[in-house]
Amino acid sequence: MAKMVQQLALPAARVKSRPLEIISRFWSWLFLLLLLLFFSLTGPGFFSFLNLQSIVNDMALALLMSLGQTFVIIAAGIDLSTGFTMGFAAVIEAVVLNALVGRLPLGLALALPLSILIALGVGTLPGLVNGILIGRLRVPPFIATLGMYGIARGLGFIFSGGGQPVSVQIPGVGDIGNGYLLYYHPAVGFSWLHTPVLPPGARPRDLVSILPFPLIVAIVAFLLCHWLLSRTRFGRHTYALGGAPEAARRAGIPVARQTLKLYMLSAFLASVAGVLYVLRFTNGDANAGDPLLLDSIAAVVIGGASLFGGEGTMVGTLIGTLIIYVIQNGLVIIGIDPYWQFVAIGAVIILAVLMDQAKARVLSR
Amino acid sequence: MRMRDFTAEQYRLSRRAFLSASLAAAGGLMLAACGGSAATSGGAGGSSYTLALIVGVKGDPFYITMQKGAEAKARELGVTLLVDGPSQWSATLQTPIVNAYVARKVDAIIIAPCDKQAMIAPLQQASNAGIKVITVDTYIGDGDYVHGPVTFPLSYIGSDNVQGGKIAGEALIKAIGGHGKVYIQNTVPGTSTTDQREQGCKEAIDATHGAVTLVGVDFNGDSAAKAAEQTTAILQRVPDLAGIFGTNIYGSEGAAQAVKNAHKQGQVKIANFDAPEQAIVDLKNNVVDIVIAQKPADMGSIGVQYAVDALKGNMGAIQKRVPTGYVIITRDNVDTPEAQAAIYKSS
Repeated sequence: MAKMVQQLALPAARVKSRPLEIISRFWSWLFLLLLLLFFSLTGPGFFSFLNLQSIVNDMALALLMSLGQTFVIIAAGIDLSTGFTMGFAAVIEAVVLNALVGRLPLGLALALPLSILIALGVGTLPGLVNGILIGRLRVPPFIATLGMYGIARGLGFIFSGGGQPVSVQIPGVGDIGNGYLLYYHPAVGFSWLHTPVLPPGARPRDLVSILPFPLIVAIVAFLLCHWLLSRTRFGRHTYALGGAPEAARRAGIPVARQTLKLYMLSAFLASVAGVLYVLRFTNGDANAGDPLLLDSIAAVVIGGASLFGGEGTMVGTLIGTLIIYVIQNGLVIIGIDPYWQFVAIGAVIILAVLMDQAKARVLSR
Repeated sequence: MRMRDFTAEQYRLSRRAFLSASLAAAGGLMLAACGGSAATSGGAGGSSYTLALIVGVKGDPFYITMQKGAEAKARELGVTLLVDGPSQWSATLQTPIVNAYVARKVDAIIIAPCDKQAMIAPLQQASNAGIKVITVDTYIGDGDYVHGPVTFPLSYIGSDNVQGGKIAGEALIKAIGGHGKVYIQNTVPGTSTTDQREQGCKEAIDATHGAVTLVGVDFNGDSAAKAAEQTTAILQRVPDLAGIFGTNIYGSEGAAQAVKNAHKQGQVKIANFDAPEQAIVDLKNNVVDIVIAQKPADMGSIGVQYAVDALKGNMGAIQKRVPTGYVIITRDNVDTPEAQAAIYKSS
């Protein structure tokens, strides 16, 4: 009898909690849509193709760092060194590119890919060291990457030769980083990759540029990371490492090697962000990534990843990053004091964790 | 075990919701695109202008004073002024603010660029969108908008920090009697303005041909506590230190604490760059000896005036470079109207 009651009650309980369950599962989507709605109604110019594209383009660097951070956090780790690793890679990219073009001299078509390979390779080294420290020598991730935070910071300044950003004055570099896939002007129509030559009388401000270069890189990186995490053995091992490290070890997952790969991936993605910074801003700045570190961790948490490991998705991280950048852009446009940006994003982080706990309660009922 | 096993049903649910949400977002973007093009065709043409002032870092008394100067001028001319700035001195954080104002279609941007190279591209895009660009305090390219690599900004209004550092160094050297050992307390490595002040101070030291020597430069990361710690160590190593140059208030205040703890007040002269109210209090309390003031209110005020001149087509009134100069404040002249006018406002 008791069993029957339970069986009868169960579907009812499920139906009752269904809306709640959907809200708790997709609250970040809803929250983002509400934000877009709110700023569209209150911010002049917010609701435009130009602005929405520039929001996602401006968040490309932070998103790259967040993607790497997502892997690390799902595996119950943390990487505090990505900000200065990004700056370090930016400095290396600028120094190597200047040397290859200025001293050797190589053409940009050869020097640029070569310098990017070197910068990505060197920029991944901090991750290699992190991975060995954490995976093999059992140094807690917080401590190991905090140490690397300082080391990468110092090396960035040392390689830039005195602290000031390394300027890249090579023609063409900025055109790549600030270029778009497609341009449209009412007077000339569409043109691929190159800004069209406008006939006299055509207003340059009517030019619409579509799909900026940093955004394309970020989209490709996102899709690859999403695939890696959700469809491959690498992804399953990552979840296992964070969810049940002891079980993972017993199941024969190579924990140390997986850890090494994760931190190298995180440093690699931060280095990609560093190279993108150089292409977009035409200088290698050791400080370039530092202001993005906390935002990139916040984005992962808002996206539903647990700092205890075992939970999180790339789509969640994307939504988390979008929420942060939409808030930042929207508050500037409606003219609210920038200190409130900190308050707003801090509140969203706490809200995210509360929603996460509510979700856990709903699901365990 | 934390890892959650998704059942096939849950997976389908989340997938379907994901797809529908994606569709909704895509639809929103399409609508946004239409809305955007409609707004573009409207265009500007009214007599009331909207200007944006983007400072180098929010909350700094220097930039608050600049904002006050700009706001007063905007009220006088009857234009709308929006003010914003990044939370840290960083081109990475300043660029999205520029883009937000481009999206809002302001008529002019008056900006203290955080990096002379990195901010070229974002401001070029603003300029391409038909927005007038004026730089204040700092510049892009080499600051020469006539013959330099960057010519689209209408004007660079600001004081040269290398020259300011040199003036500070010369005043400090004079205060220590023309010879002795000097130490520089700098802030965060890679910050153009404070690095230029350091460079100017070094030039003043070099000009003494060995009479004054530099014993070291340290970076305090904008922390007075760290500056005090570093200065205490220097005082241990160099007991006969004669002068300290703080490239901003944190360096000078920390250095002053260390000097006081070592009972070397009066023996070690301290010069401070920038003149927030705290620096003046310190000056009156014998904590620092020299305060170098820039004129941020003038920068803001001239910036707004130039933006409105440009929008009204009055280009003849605009100079490509306006040096705003310095005021050296000591205990002897602190109460003069000129020195009082130069003190930065903190709110």
